[in-house]
Amino acid sequence: MTEVGRNVTKIDAFKLARGEPVFTDDVHPVGMLWAKVLGSPHAHARIVSVDATRALALPGVVDVAWHAQVKAIPHTRAGQSHPEPSPWDTVIMPEKARFIGDRVAVVVAEDLATAEKALGLIDVQYEVLPALTDMDEAHRRTDVLIHEVPDPRGIAEGGRSNVAARIDKQVGDVDAALKTCDHVVERTYWLPRVQASHIEPHVAISWLDEDGRLVVRTSTQVPFHLRRILARILEMKEADIRVIKPRVGGGFGDKQEMVMEDLVALMTLRTRRPVRLEFTRTEELICARVRHPQRIVMTTGVMNDGTIIANRMQVTADTGAYGSHALTVQGNTGQKVLPMYPCANIHFQVTCLYTNNPISGAFRGYGAPQGCFALECHIDEVAKVIGMDRLELRRKNHIRLGDTDPLSAKLGEGKEGLVRVIRSTGLEKAIELGCEAIGWGRKRPPSAPHLKRGLGMALAMQGSGIAGVDWGAATVKLNEDGSVNLAVGATDIGQGSDTVLAQICAQELGIRYEDVRVLSSDTDLTPFDVGAYASSTTYVSGGAVLKAARLVREQLAAMAAERWKCAVEEVRFGAGLVNAGPDRTMTVAELASHALYHVKVQPMATASHMSNESPPPFAAQFADVEVDPQTGEVFLRRFASAVDLGTPIHPDLAEGQIEGAVAQAIGYALFEEVIVDAGGRVRNPNFLDYKIASALDMPEMITILVPTQEPSGPFGAKAAGEVPIDGPAPAIVNAICDAVGVRAYRIPVTPERVWRQIKEAGE
Amino acid sequence: MWDLKEYRIAGSAGEAVAMMRRGPGKGVYIAGGTDLFLFPPTCDYVVDINHAGLSDIVGSPDGDLFIGAATTLHDLATNPLVNRFAGGLLSEAAAHCGNRPVRSTATIGGNLCNALPSADLAPALLALDAVCYIADEDSQESLPLEDFFTGPRKTVLDGRLLVGIALSAEAAKRRALARRLTRSAEDIALVQVAVALEVIDGRVGAVRIALGSVAPVPMRAMLAEAQIEGELLSDLTPDRLADAGLIAASECDPIDDHRASAEYRREMVGVLTRRVLASALAWNPSDDKEGGAA
Amino acid sequence: MKIDVRLNGRDTAWEAPAGATLLAVLRDGGPNPARMISVKRGCETGDCGACTVLLDGQPVNSCVVAAGRAHGHEVTTLEGLAADPLMISLQKALVDHAGVQCGYCSPGMLISLYHLLRECRAAGVRPDDHAIREALSGNLCRCTGYVKPVAAAAAVAAALEAVQAAAPGKGTVAS
Repeated sequence: MTEVGRNVTKIDAFKLARGEPVFTDDVHPVGMLWAKVLGSPHAHARIVSVDATRALALPGVVDVAWHAQVKAIPHTRAGQSHPEPSPWDTVIMPEKARFIGDRVAVVVAEDLATAEKALGLIDVQYEVLPALTDMDEAHRRTDVLIHEVPDPRGIAEGGRSNVAARIDKQVGDVDAALKTCDHVVERTYWLPRVQASHIEPHVAISWLDEDGRLVVRTSTQVPFHLRRILARILEMKEADIRVIKPRVGGGFGDKQEMVMEDLVALMTLRTRRPVRLEFTRTEELICARVRHPQRIVMTTGVMNDGTIIANRMQVTADTGAYGSHALTVQGNTGQKVLPMYPCANIHFQVTCLYTNNPISGAFRGYGAPQGCFALECHIDEVAKVIGMDRLELRRKNHIRLGDTDPLSAKLGEGKEGLVRVIRSTGLEKAIELGCEAIGWGRKRPPSAPHLKRGLGMALAMQGSGIAGVDWGAATVKLNEDGSVNLAVGATDIGQGSDTVLAQICAQELGIRYEDVRVLSSDTDLTPFDVGAYASSTTYVSGGAVLKAARLVREQLAAMAAERWKCAVEEVRFGAGLVNAGPDRTMTVAELASHALYHVKVQPMATASHMSNESPPPFAAQFADVEVDPQTGEVFLRRFASAVDLGTPIHPDLAEGQIEGAVAQAIGYALFEEVIVDAGGRVRNPNFLDYKIASALDMPEMITILVPTQEPSGPFGAKAAGEVPIDGPAPAIVNAICDAVGVRAYRIPVTPERVWRQIKEAGE
Repeated sequence: MWDLKEYRIAGSAGEAVAMMRRGPGKGVYIAGGTDLFLFPPTCDYVVDINHAGLSDIVGSPDGDLFIGAATTLHDLATNPLVNRFAGGLLSEAAAHCGNRPVRSTATIGGNLCNALPSADLAPALLALDAVCYIADEDSQESLPLEDFFTGPRKTVLDGRLLVGIALSAEAAKRRALARRLTRSAEDIALVQVAVALEVIDGRVGAVRIALGSVAPVPMRAMLAEAQIEGELLSDLTPDRLADAGLIAASECDPIDDHRASAEYRREMVGVLTRRVLASALAWNPSDDKEGGAA
Repeated sequence: MKIDVRLNGRDTAWEAPAGATLLAVLRDGGPNPARMISVKRGCETGDCGACTVLLDGQPVNSCVVAAGRAHGHEVTTLEGLAADPLMISLQKALVDHAGVQCGYCSPGMLISLYHLLRECRAAGVRPDDHAIREALSGNLCRCTGYVKPVAAAAAVAAALEAVQAAAPGKGTVAS
């Protein structure tokens, strides 16, 4: 292999490093209007009336829209494949505000300052309703309904209760099995609300092209889903909408959602002018999406020798004001996590509640960080109870090559899934290498007498796309000089998928990566792809690129065979050359030129790819911490990740995925939390107070790739994007427990929480 | 956007005050602006004092230090005079304030005039007996920093201009150390403790224990100071220092907020005061490099 | 207000509202023709550093600096350093070390690193890992975990030191 596995120059890196105008907001169309959204000041309130007279009188204000003027077509903004597994509980402009910041009105003006000023001139009358901000209260109460209209597709229980989604799936019989176990260990874990915090906020610009078609240039992970949703709620044909995804400044799931594109489109259609909307950081932390807060009860039945007999995970989750990803994120909490320790009896239950809190949604890991935290902390607890080494307990029970995953058959993306068999795993190797790197069993002494030192570990697995659902297409077109244009619907949001897909294309065609140009993504110009989510791009979209490149290669082989009067099977490709024996050689460029000017055929193919499998990448992650028991401060000294992601197509980018995921997860473990008070108000809606990891927060990082060959993946590849975000929080908390002997059941483990637990344990 | 009518640039301290007093409407002085732009106050104009000659750090032959109000935090962190003064206590405080780009423009005057309970420079300056110089149109006044703060976001200024801070040479030789507790590396401090003391012939002389983020204004823990002042070093056992910490804890007046509880802040005042006192008495600043956090 | 500024080496006159930030004037355009689009908007509280520019050679968060503060001063954005050899070597190192993922924070990061390395070069010292992280402390990156950007900066620092090695007595480590 030459192109796959090589650290080629990331295809867009230089233009990004030069600060060239490549992001959504970097180019403004002529005559562009600036939009701002008036958010509800109440967590739950009927919008009785809106009077925009004073706002419209302000010079520079062009238009104001609110619910009375906008057709209410129920939909979900979740940005998923059709049929969407999220409830259709949303309209463009609601007549009832369901959280502080919910859309009340949208204004467009000639400049930003005027639009901001106009917000204060919109007179709104509210009928304030009781707000439910506690998920248990929301569960209990049926007298206050956040969604009064039944979900047309029956996912949520709108009109009857505040339940947005339920799951109850069992393999075997957990209750019966628990009675036979030597030990039953039950613990409860709490997970916080955190925000993706991509540095580029949500931003979208729309306009009408010269044919009157709607163009939306936006920072999105899902251009094709977006076009489909927009067409339905704006009652347009998909062909009349063009979604362009330029460079995207990070997404992490938060840009899977249609957070604002419907608003700019609406205002462009109303004013016939270009409209731009960008969230402030405060709006991001209030009105974008957060990772679902959860409470997880783990009940495990285990024998004295460490054999796990039964596992039950009961999840209560807060989806906030709308049910975006309510079913599927919570489904993943069990589905992506429980298979780590296969046993005959597994029970997984979910109750996901609507509340009047900010909207939960997709965020890297998609439910797995929550579940992995609970399970991997719990394994340490079980080990302690039965007096077994925690590494041994894991080694005894973890999933192995050839194992099936019975739970995945019961849970799919909102439907019955497919049976998963493990056909590649480097988990054993990852555990071995990770242990070696961190010095497992050889704890270092504390760096100062008043500190305590501890080591912790966690195992994690994820998926590679959604089996039987995610698919993508790619078009490969060969030019007469042997260069290639690759058009993909797959969505590069910074992770480097354009680069990886170009490598796959070049490898298959036997040409150099540097001769491939990638276009992604533009619904007018590139074929369909579900988009960048669920760790799918390398595995699923890469499969499409591989197929398309193979088709072009077959076309070329046929032409070469025809020219050389030999069998197609004799034609070989590699290093930019085509040959069939020693005296029959030409360059790909010569063959391409031959195709275009002699045969008069365009070598070109479009291929689609879906996988009925979702092979899990695996991670073993290790933390080395010091704790100051008197202040509760935690100092993360070293962090090691050993990750099996199949074949690393681009090792540096794969490492970058791991390192970035670990940084996000360190925040999850130690200091990130969107704090919402009992009234539903976010108390820390800015980076002053919502802290994400800076360069000074990072420990010494050890990142190890553990290559395996996944038979169903392109060149043996699996996925890299999500699995490394699952393990750090439990590994760190397990290490803290190792250091000071008390366990945090709730993250983030702020100094105060650690201090309080130590204090309470001493009392 | 901050809805201002006018941006006035003053060429001197006197001109700045005159511009402020001129009206019409309400005005605010601006230097770095890094705090003002976070939550812009409602006002009609600002008076920029960056060109008013207030950005200098001047040392007297006797070892006194005068720091202009518009001196940036970066200059404080790197200025050799400040680095040497009382073991570099103020430089350290400045170096931990915000991040590198913030420190290029944020100023000592802004940090104090913004008057947050968590003002990062205040504990260090209180521990060093800083004196504020305040100018009005036709008068000048100086007062101890302790009397400068009147409440959260409130000072004695009332339209007058803080022109600078003076530190007396007496404080320069104090053993001084500080500690701040945060959730992440770049964070608003949950608790700050700064200690400066002198030791003469085995006996403790003047002691200052200053606290931040644990009361409506940055404060001194004077009862705790009294426990230490005048004592023989040999009498200051760990228990005595712990007692001083507990007394400091009883003196502070923290609040519960989403960052930390009052209970935790109070307890941490005790722990940190004890530790910082112990380190200062041992007179080896590197002793307090606990866990790498400042 | 009228603001006379030396922007990327050219005397420039801005017309800006009194309450405008330097970021708004540099990025959003309005009456001023040139948009400096390398200057990104990320947080508007001086925390993320996506808007980092040099004001009189010092890195500042342009989102919390008044536009009026630049009156009579010099502002340098990444655009103004496009031909600067040190900046070019930093850009190349960042790319070569795969330190660019989404790239939104890259211009701000590069400005901070450029400032650090220029100061270190002038002082004849080589920044260690901590000094590099300190310089990057105001540039939040949500993609990379900072490992590769720090490695890129260290590589450029090492190369600078090698160039300066001819000058004896230099090359100590600054923290």
